[in-house]
Amino acid sequence: MSDTTPDTTMIDQLDAGIEALLAHPKTGTSVSDPVLAELLGIASQLRMLPSPEFKAMLKADLLDRVDVTGETGTRKERRKADLTVPSGVLPTLAGTGAGLYPVHRSSFMVSLVAHAMAVALLVTSGIWAAQGVREVSRVSSHLVTDVSPYLLPAADDKTGGGGGGGDLDKVQASKGMPPKFSREQFAPPAVVVRNEDPKLAVDPTVIGPPNISFPVGPMGDPISGVMGIPSSGTGTGGGIGSGRDGGVGVGSGRGVGTGVGGGIGGGVYLVGRGVSAPRAIYDPEPEYSEEGRKARYQGTVLLQVVVGVDGRTRDVRVARSLGMGLDEKALEAVRQWRFDPATQDGQPVAVLVNIEVNFRLY
Amino acid sequence: MKVLENGTDEQLLVVAAQRDPSRFAELYEGNFERVYAFIARRVASREDAQDLTAEVFHEALRNLSRFEWRGLPFAAWLLGIASHLLADRWRHFARRHEVPAGDLNEPGADPQIETHAMLSQLVDALAPDQRLVVLRRFVEQKSLREIAGELGRSEGAVKQLQFRALQNLRAQMRSRYV
Repeated sequence: MSDTTPDTTMIDQLDAGIEALLAHPKTGTSVSDPVLAELLGIASQLRMLPSPEFKAMLKADLLDRVDVTGETGTRKERRKADLTVPSGVLPTLAGTGAGLYPVHRSSFMVSLVAHAMAVALLVTSGIWAAQGVREVSRVSSHLVTDVSPYLLPAADDKTGGGGGGGDLDKVQASKGMPPKFSREQFAPPAVVVRNEDPKLAVDPTVIGPPNISFPVGPMGDPISGVMGIPSSGTGTGGGIGSGRDGGVGVGSGRGVGTGVGGGIGGGVYLVGRGVSAPRAIYDPEPEYSEEGRKARYQGTVLLQVVVGVDGRTRDVRVARSLGMGLDEKALEAVRQWRFDPATQDGQPVAVLVNIEVNFRLY
Repeated sequence: MKVLENGTDEQLLVVAAQRDPSRFAELYEGNFERVYAFIARRVASREDAQDLTAEVFHEALRNLSRFEWRGLPFAAWLLGIASHLLADRWRHFARRHEVPAGDLNEPGADPQIETHAMLSQLVDALAPDQRLVVLRRFVEQKSLREIAGELGRSEGAVKQLQFRALQNLRAQMRSRYV
């Protein structure tokens, strides 16, 4: 059979084979003519040809996808492509870059954030520095021992200290005048002298400022109402009155009057001359006042405080004011202080002390 | 089927498409028949072949920036994608296995792919009446009577056109490969 002169039989056989191929593609057809078999093989491949419009439709679909997404692949890969073929695009702040090195958007963002943080740090550092003043402020306070000469407070109707005594008599001490003041006492005063022949005769004295003198008269308690009956009083420890410990009056100690420890007129001692200084055992420091801190105000507040025999502070007053709320802060703190009380001859006595409170900002 | 002259041309085309995805159309035109032929030989129906071909090119477009030129033609990369998609399809639809998995080992080593890929272009080169008969008969799978009615000819005349079209295709293929 010739390729160029097909006969009717071959055309019919080919069509029959094509019919069978289209109807049963998996079964196939078996023909003996090699030319016919070759034509059926081509027909078999033609059966799987894509539809004519498929290729165009798929192309259009792909181009649509490109238009929608604009680009494909990851940014990193696109940058790699940029390096392969220089674009000639001028470098921009957040663009793809040009030249030897690409502009990384992530690097730009990191740099931007870092610079923003640095600026914020610079701006806020001023605030932090102002807050830091709080931490370097320092408040110190201490007891100031007055080593001036032993002088009682100058007042017309009141001096410091006191004392009392007596020799267990049944009647109150008789009215009279105390003996003279002295820094030391070797013999307590007495109205009724029990030992009229002492081995060493010493003038009786009471403890107090030697420059204070009493009118001359019979010895006795100046405030007693007992007249005519000699008596050293109902007190104990020697002396005159209803008190104790070798003084004159109702107090305790070797002074005169209602006070304790010596002197006259009640009140408190000053440190020195046998009176030990109280020792602070609990002394919280004052706080800096907000007003003083803002004004960066510094200085010292001087307080006068009485430390009682119980170790507590009382009668606290400002001797030298500083202002700006710092006085109040100092008073508030010192009122909380606790002391081992001052002593004289081993006995606790109330003393007047000065406390300096220093407010400093560094 | 458009064939690039050498690897350098194709490499430049790929790079251009990586930078400007609209250039992917040129890669598509140059490789569509080959990819379709590769898939068509491994599936049972035209619909499956068209679906998978579309998937291959969509996948290629999506991952175009990852393509690295290593001396192999771009078609090899496309056929690799096709192989993976075929394997996935066969895994999911195990009952529809129609080609042994061994066919996937060498996606570019099948000479019949080139023949099949060329066939589409040869059909386009046929005389218009022969081409029309081929498309109606094999693509649309119409009967001779339907085609004869459309063309206004006898069934015998259509049968003759069908025969001559196949003979021309055979002659063209033999002239290229024999």
